[in-house]
Amino acid sequence: MEHISLSQIAIVAGILLILIGLWAIISQRNIIKMIIGFSLFDTGIHIVMVGVGYVRGKTAPVLDEAVNVKEAARQIVDPLPQALVLTAIVIGLGITALMLAYALRLYQKKKTLDVKKFNDLKW
Amino acid sequence: MVEPVYIVASGLGIAFLLGLINKAGKNPAGGVMLLALAFMTLVSLQWMSSVVFAGNSPHYTFTAGFQPPFSISLMMGEKEAFFTTLVNLIGLLGGIYLWERFHKQGVNTMIVYLLLFVGLNVVVMTRDLFNLFVFLEISSVAITGLVLLQREHKAITAGFKYLVATGIISGILLIGIIFIYQYGGSLYIDDIIAANLTAVKGGMVAIFLVLIAIALELKPFPANGWALDLYQGAHPGVAALVSGAFASAMVFVLYKLLPIAGGQWQTMFATLGALTFVGSNLLGIKQNQSQRLLGYSSVGQIGLLVMVVGLAQFLGDRLTLIAYGLLISHYLAKAGLFWLAGVLDQDQIRNWAQLRKKPHLLALFGTFIFALVGFPPFPSFFAKWELIMQLSAGSGYVWVGLILLGSLLEAVYLFRWLGYALKLDHQQLPAINIQWHKIIPIVLAGVGLFVLGYLATPIASGTAGINFIPLAFIILIYFLDVLPARVKNIVVIAAMAYYGYLIMPGLEDVRFIFSVIFIIGGILTLLAGFAYKGRRKGFYPAALLMYAGLGQLLTAETMLQFFFAWELMTIGSYILIIRGKNSIRHGYSYMLFSVGGAYLMLAGFGVAYAGSGMADLAAIANITQLAGWAAVLIAIGFMTKTATLGLHIWLPGAHAEAESDVSPMVSAILLKAGVFGLVLLFIHMGGEAASGHPLFYVLGWLGAITALVANLSAVFQEDAKRLLAYSSIGQLGYILFAFAIMTHVGWLAGFTYTLNHFMYKAILFLIVGGIVLRLRTHYMYEMGGLIKRMPYSFIAVLIGIVALAGMPPLSGFAGKWLFYNAGIEKGWYFQGGVIFFSGIIAFLYLYRLIHSIFLGQLKDRHRRVKEISPWFLIPAYTLIMGIMVFSAKPGWILQPIGQAITQYFPSSPLRWQADGTAIGELGYWNGSQVMVIVMGVFILITLWLILLNRKAKKVEQFNIVYAGERPERPETTHISYNIYAGYNKAIGFLATPWISGLWQWIADGFRDLAVQIRRIYNGNGQTYALHLLTYVVVVYLITIGG
Repeated sequence: MEHISLSQIAIVAGILLILIGLWAIISQRNIIKMIIGFSLFDTGIHIVMVGVGYVRGKTAPVLDEAVNVKEAARQIVDPLPQALVLTAIVIGLGITALMLAYALRLYQKKKTLDVKKFNDLKW
Repeated sequence: MVEPVYIVASGLGIAFLLGLINKAGKNPAGGVMLLALAFMTLVSLQWMSSVVFAGNSPHYTFTAGFQPPFSISLMMGEKEAFFTTLVNLIGLLGGIYLWERFHKQGVNTMIVYLLLFVGLNVVVMTRDLFNLFVFLEISSVAITGLVLLQREHKAITAGFKYLVATGIISGILLIGIIFIYQYGGSLYIDDIIAANLTAVKGGMVAIFLVLIAIALELKPFPANGWALDLYQGAHPGVAALVSGAFASAMVFVLYKLLPIAGGQWQTMFATLGALTFVGSNLLGIKQNQSQRLLGYSSVGQIGLLVMVVGLAQFLGDRLTLIAYGLLISHYLAKAGLFWLAGVLDQDQIRNWAQLRKKPHLLALFGTFIFALVGFPPFPSFFAKWELIMQLSAGSGYVWVGLILLGSLLEAVYLFRWLGYALKLDHQQLPAINIQWHKIIPIVLAGVGLFVLGYLATPIASGTAGINFIPLAFIILIYFLDVLPARVKNIVVIAAMAYYGYLIMPGLEDVRFIFSVIFIIGGILTLLAGFAYKGRRKGFYPAALLMYAGLGQLLTAETMLQFFFAWELMTIGSYILIIRGKNSIRHGYSYMLFSVGGAYLMLAGFGVAYAGSGMADLAAIANITQLAGWAAVLIAIGFMTKTATLGLHIWLPGAHAEAESDVSPMVSAILLKAGVFGLVLLFIHMGGEAASGHPLFYVLGWLGAITALVANLSAVFQEDAKRLLAYSSIGQLGYILFAFAIMTHVGWLAGFTYTLNHFMYKAILFLIVGGIVLRLRTHYMYEMGGLIKRMPYSFIAVLIGIVALAGMPPLSGFAGKWLFYNAGIEKGWYFQGGVIFFSGIIAFLYLYRLIHSIFLGQLKDRHRRVKEISPWFLIPAYTLIMGIMVFSAKPGWILQPIGQAITQYFPSSPLRWQADGTAIGELGYWNGSQVMVIVMGVFILITLWLILLNRKAKKVEQFNIVYAGERPERPETTHISYNIYAGYNKAIGFLATPWISGLWQWIADGFRDLAVQIRRIYNGNGQTYALHLLTYVVVVYLITIGG
């Protein structure tokens, strides 16, 4: 099992999550379930990002006693994907919140969460 | 210089502060928000002046003082300055427009609004991919937040669908970004370009994901149902921002990122853009909901811009003019239209007739529509022109075809809409609620279009400029519209006369002949305008636009000048024609044929430019490749105006339903613009040297058949003006036939017919129009016996029909004599036979005209009717004098014309003797002698009749015995009703309108197609998400493959 690294597992798992998320968005009629699908989709992307940035055998990009400042570049994993993922998580959170707010509004209007009922605009 | 980063900083800072400022009240908060936007606009304007106009090098800002890739870099170059200016300006105007909404919804909305513009500015300026993602998300989220401005149900569902779609798109973008980082090791765009990632399969996929995400943000057809719903559901003020600001920024992002693909996929993006442009405009033709229709149009226009970005390598240094011209027209016009939608609050486009309650708003609406379709003098006109020229020069004819098809489809729905606004009943609609904060941005958008069009002109036309003085005068007349019609008529006639005085002495040969028709004819027909009382709102700007166009056609030297003038004339004539009471359909079909014809001409000019490398009209003479195509395309373009058979179906209604003094303008004068175009084309094709070209053989037959079918149709008309209209089609068939002969005598015949048709058709339309004004009916069976009430009209019509019939002694005979000479010389016996036969048919309708109107019994209700207005008689009799001179002394006119055309047709000209006898190859003819002889015979017969008359018993009108019948429809008993029933039975089938049926079938086909395709927009957010994913997969399979 040596040739399967942690980052590869992470990437595969992330892609699986992305696909599950997309499946949920497209097939689940309940708006809340769609939003959960979105969360999965987002999370999958985040895991892929972390996986891409991970380098085997290196440590977290935090400069503390475990890391020698001069040797840092060789000892830590690439910090950029980690920074990116943090930002992406924040944005994902914002979007999920906005979606939930919309779900609430939609429910208030029609007393249903079935996405097919909201097709007044078409053609 | 204020650092560009302050655009972002001020926006963000004020957004945070707004919460505090709100304590002081909503008005101060709103004011500060607008100030922030004004500041942002000023900063970008300042950079525009520095980088674009002063030519300074681009400015880079690096965060935290590091160089990229270790920091985020913002770039402020030429394009960034332009795009941030666009974005911030619409932010400012849109903020003013939404003032009242902000007030109602409070400070949170203002914060979201500011954040949208912060986001878009960074999206434009950033050179860092992840930074782009973050601020794109901010903008998208801000838009979904703003959608909630409209608390209606439809806004919320639309916002949710938008959120789902943009969520998926940003996911795709993010995956692409992270893999680009993995393969390229940097997120700095310049590094990514340098890394040439497409060499590796993984890198290529990463780049594909990023670019396709950007493409999806541009709402490509057919994966764009979510965007259309947003346009329809959102507050119009927000939709304006999405269409104007967001879409503009995204087009720029695509442009900025496309190099990371290293020159690949440009064609793919051009294809996706073309699909969107054509597809979206196709679906638009079935749409009746105003905001959704604007959505279709927006999506289409952005598709066109994507196309331009994809085809950039063809466009060379004209790219800027093309892209900016198209973008800015779309941006201003679309924002203006969405804002107007918000002012009217009318969901259905039929109800936009409400605009007529505020004519200035109607004028703005028209401005936006014409700007979107690409008419002069707006920037889009020049941009489209250059686009077609450059694509043609690069042999991209398929692209040209797609662009013109999409543009035509767009014209189909935009002019339907404009027609509704101009013509449908507005009495039942509520008054428009004018709020100045909403009107000001609309006015600025409209004014901006004019100003920018004016500024774009020198860039597009080079040294050969365009004379804007007539246009400026027309705008002045528009603002003088409050004056009484008579005053305006004097001013306008004086202006026309002055214009003629300026240009006519400088014109030579052919151009001078047509200037007589356009300018002097124009003045004569305008005289009839004195018969109208009141203000005649909107008439004079339109008439002047048409005449300005005609005048500029005469002076045009480059193809661009010609096309500019041609399109001006089209706008003016369209407005004139659609003014008629029942003209909504006819004006519409006139416009569509005109636009279609103009696009064919444009394509033809493109081929000419490509084949000759010249911009002058003389390019047509110097085409080295595809010369035949250029000629055919341009000729068909002109033939839509001359209403040659097949392209004629717009004419009868347009001319018959037009106002009484407009009919002579559009019939006697406007049709000659097409003739003028054909004459120029034939000259440039080489005159006599080109006479063997097969095109002329085809045109000769077309002319002959047009004459036959149109004359036959004229025979069966009950409506006097419609009869004259069909007669015009037939006469133009003669003219086409004569010019297509391509010999000296043939051309003399052509010019004789052109001048004659101008004179007698103006006379007939003026008189019949005057009668229609008096009797309020077009139908001949409702007239009769008017000879005693309107003797002057009778004489004028008599002279008109004698001239038209080509009977001696009047000038029509000169035309016929030349005509048969030329036809026999050329050996066109069969075509000549058809023409001869149609000439006989012409007698039938002409007899009907004079008989049904003036002879027979006077209707009871017309017993006190007066002679028609002298203002109609004066121009008619002036023209009669013209006919008389031409008839008595044909040499005075034909000799100079002969001299003028000798340079093109040197062989076998007509020879003139001192006594005015013309000698051709086949015989001779002396106009003066014919006149004397015929007059002599006429007088003798008249005297004889008077002598006989003494024996006749006078019968009073009602001295008749009734046959006891009870007719269901009284007109059926009138002698002139269905007067030629027998002929109809025998040969009427030739006049069946199967061509109209054909066009109807084509139109229905497109409409059905639109109905079928638009079913994919089923309103379900999940289906739209599926569309997005499918789109990505399909494009992936096509570009990269499994």
